[in-house]
Amino acid sequence: MPRSILSTLCIAALPLLLCPILLSAGTKGADPKTAPATAQNQGEHLFAVNCGRCHQPPMSIPPRATGTIIMHMRTRARLSRQDEQALLKFMAP
Amino acid sequence: MKLWWIGTCILLTTCWAGAQKPDTDHTDAGYVPVLSGTFGYVQNVNGGVTSLEPQVETVLLVPFGSHVLLESRAEFFGFFQRENQTTGPFTGKVFKSVDYAQLDWLANTHVIATAGAFLLPYGLYNERLAPLWIRNLQDAPITDVIGTRPSGTGDGVMLRGNAYETPAYSIQYSAYFSTRSSINQLESSRLAGGDTSIFLKGARLEVGESFQHTLQEHQINNSGTYVSWQPERFPLDLKAEFDRCFNGEGYWIESAYKLSQVPLAPAFFSRVQLVPRVQQFHPLNGGGNSLPTKDTQRFDIGVNYYFRDNFRLVSSYGRQFSNQANANIWNAGVTYRFVWPLWPGRK
Repeated sequence: MPRSILSTLCIAALPLLLCPILLSAGTKGADPKTAPATAQNQGEHLFAVNCGRCHQPPMSIPPRATGTIIMHMRTRARLSRQDEQALLKFMAP
Repeated sequence: MKLWWIGTCILLTTCWAGAQKPDTDHTDAGYVPVLSGTFGYVQNVNGGVTSLEPQVETVLLVPFGSHVLLESRAEFFGFFQRENQTTGPFTGKVFKSVDYAQLDWLANTHVIATAGAFLLPYGLYNERLAPLWIRNLQDAPITDVIGTRPSGTGDGVMLRGNAYETPAYSIQYSAYFSTRSSINQLESSRLAGGDTSIFLKGARLEVGESFQHTLQEHQINNSGTYVSWQPERFPLDLKAEFDRCFNGEGYWIESAYKLSQVPLAPAFFSRVQLVPRVQQFHPLNGGGNSLPTKDTQRFDIGVNYYFRDNFRLVSSYGRQFSNQANANIWNAGVTYRFVWPLWPGRK
């Protein structure tokens, strides 16, 4: 394929890749400096941060399966034991 | 036959493992065996040729206490095409495979020991993004086969874990050795490799590097560098990877964005996800080995609609440019993820 077509393609793709940033310019997010205050909040924060690295965070996990699922995710995401405990407290308090 | 044997053994183990007590009493979390997975159906049109692809992925998780986990994934993949590609009735068959079957010992934060047939931790895709309910675009990147031959699985042992962690960042690692195997459903190459990544918690940015050395035949090296970023201020998931091996090198960049910040009809747009991806591959030494033999570029744009977090419609359009032939690729389908506890519990 001619390089010019490829360049055009990449240039066309760039706005699509960057559109989220453009669309959300000026929107307010959480203050990253705000440290999670409680263990529950810490778990919620870790849930959003760690699960979102690979997939949409799932909302519907039966509590009796939570320990097993978190073991699986700890293995896959190489989470620390401390993070595992915080996630358990958030998902099955 | 082997698949049935493995399934039977795992189910028997499930019964024995039934109600295991965790080593923590601080939460209501249960440690019962779980059957999870995805039902999916995708209709694919590639260069005018339609294929129907019903798929079922099942993941069985059997815990032994809170430190030992037996996990396995089996896949049933149907592939049906018209008899003469574009005319005639649909014919095809259902393929079945065991993607992995491994035993994990979660010793501590720094060491998780794994033995058995495990997914090769190479790059972002094979281990993390490949499941049907996770992947944003149904077609894998061109370079996905780099570092994952022949089946994406290694038979042997692996150590992995969190090497070092501070409030600002964490460093993860994986190191493995796989033996050569031609056993049906457990094919693997003799190789050694590893993966390490640093995750910056504040920026939600992960940068990683995978390396693999094949210890058979040509003894080639594979390497991959990847980036994953989920900024806190907007619902974006940006991933990119560059891979290189003896047969070629290439990259892909994928951005998944949920339209939850569109002010119009938020109930609808917050469920819509846009997924553009660009990728380019350049063959080296003639290419081949499941990789293109000519320069190839591809652009995809996907639109997914989430009815719920576990149920979505998926669709995408792609255009592949190659010196051999250009092609349009369409995908449309549905995926549904399930989680079924296999043992009665409190809730």
